[in-house]
Amino acid sequence: MNNFQQSLVLTRVMTSGVVMSIEKNDRQLPGLETQLRNKVDRQYVALFNSVTGAIHAALHGQQIGFGGKAVFPRVSQREQKFLTWLGVGIEESTSTPRTYGKASVAWQDAGTTLDAAVAAVSHDKVQVLDFTELGFGPCAAIATNDEQIWKRAERLKIFGAFDLRTMWSQAESEPEIQPTIQFNYRLSPLVAACVRQAIQGNQ
Amino acid sequence: MMQTDFPALPLPWPTDDMAQQELAHLGGNPVIGHGFRKTLFPVITKEDVLQMQISILRNHTNSEAQFTEDYRNYVGAKYAIATASGTSALHLALVGAGVTPGDEVIVPCFTFIATAQAIVAAKGIPVFVDIDPVNYCIDVQAVEAAITPRTRAVMPVHVHGLPANMPALRQLCTKHGLLLVEDASHAHSAAIDGTICGALGDAAGQSLMADKNFPVGGEGGIAFFADEEKYKRARAFLEETGIDYSMSGIVAAFGISQLKRLPYYDAIRQRNAAYLTAELAKTGLFTGPEVPAAYVHAYNMYRIALHPAAVGLDDLPIHAVKGAVQELLVAEGVPAREWQNKPIPGHLPFQNRQGFGQGYPFTLSQRDFSEYSLDRFPNALKMLASTLTLCRELRSPVETERIQSYALAFHKVAARPDVIRKLATENTYPLPYERDGRLG
Repeated sequence: MNNFQQSLVLTRVMTSGVVMSIEKNDRQLPGLETQLRNKVDRQYVALFNSVTGAIHAALHGQQIGFGGKAVFPRVSQREQKFLTWLGVGIEESTSTPRTYGKASVAWQDAGTTLDAAVAAVSHDKVQVLDFTELGFGPCAAIATNDEQIWKRAERLKIFGAFDLRTMWSQAESEPEIQPTIQFNYRLSPLVAACVRQAIQGNQ
Repeated sequence: MMQTDFPALPLPWPTDDMAQQELAHLGGNPVIGHGFRKTLFPVITKEDVLQMQISILRNHTNSEAQFTEDYRNYVGAKYAIATASGTSALHLALVGAGVTPGDEVIVPCFTFIATAQAIVAAKGIPVFVDIDPVNYCIDVQAVEAAITPRTRAVMPVHVHGLPANMPALRQLCTKHGLLLVEDASHAHSAAIDGTICGALGDAAGQSLMADKNFPVGGEGGIAFFADEEKYKRARAFLEETGIDYSMSGIVAAFGISQLKRLPYYDAIRQRNAAYLTAELAKTGLFTGPEVPAAYVHAYNMYRIALHPAAVGLDDLPIHAVKGAVQELLVAEGVPAREWQNKPIPGHLPFQNRQGFGQGYPFTLSQRDFSEYSLDRFPNALKMLASTLTLCRELRSPVETERIQSYALAFHKVAARPDVIRKLATENTYPLPYERDGRLG
């Protein structure tokens, strides 16, 4: 995406007046979610304001928290530090399916296209896609076909237990999904708009 | 087609006789008609677009650093780290200040839930205390009573934008060797004796999301630190944990241009608040916030107290009077709301206390968590039962005619205690805190 396109996209969103993620009439976040759902062929996508937020959600969605264990063939030093902070142990194994697959999209070469990223995690139950390298700021997503994982992930990134879009209600609509620690991992619609355009422009 | 929030028509000019007309609830014309009720926020101007274009030309590389320095300088804090959200800013402020796993942090029971969740994120134990019945901020005497050998910090919240009693809290913290960490998320430009919130404590966290008086581009926050040691500790924590809390350059660019207009918007809110407070004082039924001398209230929100005795309604439960009044005001086009209905310890994450998993960090504490029961917070419960809140409604670009219309609607409703009584007695209004907890 060139500077003119980026300028146009951001000006358009700012002119709409809707720059906040919890606005009911925000179009950018649902638009990016739909785009990614179609691309990764998974039913559920949740967006995050950082890759660590998305990793946290990928674990939390699978009810892996403090005292739990995640399985990977190998893990980066940064992920290791983050999982340690969460209190999640790491088992290095190639025989067990990994807890989540992670890939970055940067469009710097053939290995960092969205297609390449999607292919790299296509067999994973939970996919973590990192868009930070695109240059619009920290941005990541998780994708899964498991509705419960998605719901728990959404509840981690907002402060609600019921209305996942506007976050306000703590009503216990689904007692099997208890609200726990909650962070604000919400993505800005302005960043989402740029990622949307970048993905669209490179397809 | 261009999607824009520019209003199609201006609000019709209000006239004094509107206050004498039939209530909208009874079929009369509302003070603010349908189609004129949306409050636009934030104000996005050509300066924001230009600043964004400059940021794009620089590949957003300098925007976050420029924003951080501009706003740190405005607040007068020594050190700052811009973050992706208010919650992450509060988390960093606590960690940077020196809160470690298992430490108790004393916090008001009435705040946004992020304040308390940030303490859990820092692996601390939130110790909730009641609020002051007048300023709705943390009660200083309750803080002193809650101090134990495990207490590490006190975390006041400048509720709605009115600074907490920081001089008294500072004295208390000095006496007991405690850290003072502000939640300044409502308090952009709020001040005590000229010192802006964010620069009053040992550290502070502040939300800058686009629903705040000072918005960045969507979601963001900032942590302030009073000295280099605390700042470096926060930086080291990010390095040690690998957590990415960084603010996007796009988000920051929006804040750079918004900051230049913040004093103008502050002046509009002060003007609107002064007008509304003076008008409410004439109604008998309503009063606005009380602001101590030398304090600047930021009016991120504006909480209105009800006084049923002034209009002969003190024989009714006050929450029923509030419920009836809210219904009448909303019918007139005034978006009066509760802004929370239950003290935070009563919300599910603190009743469940699952934390990061397996109850951590609550399991580090020997405290009896039956103390998270609502009956320990009578001042907060009374406030929730007897007050209503305006949120965006005092902010620019709220026009003169809009704030005048709100005042007329309060006059109109206060003049009809007969209708308030009928509604309050015929309808069922449960106590706010007996309903499911809401955060907005």
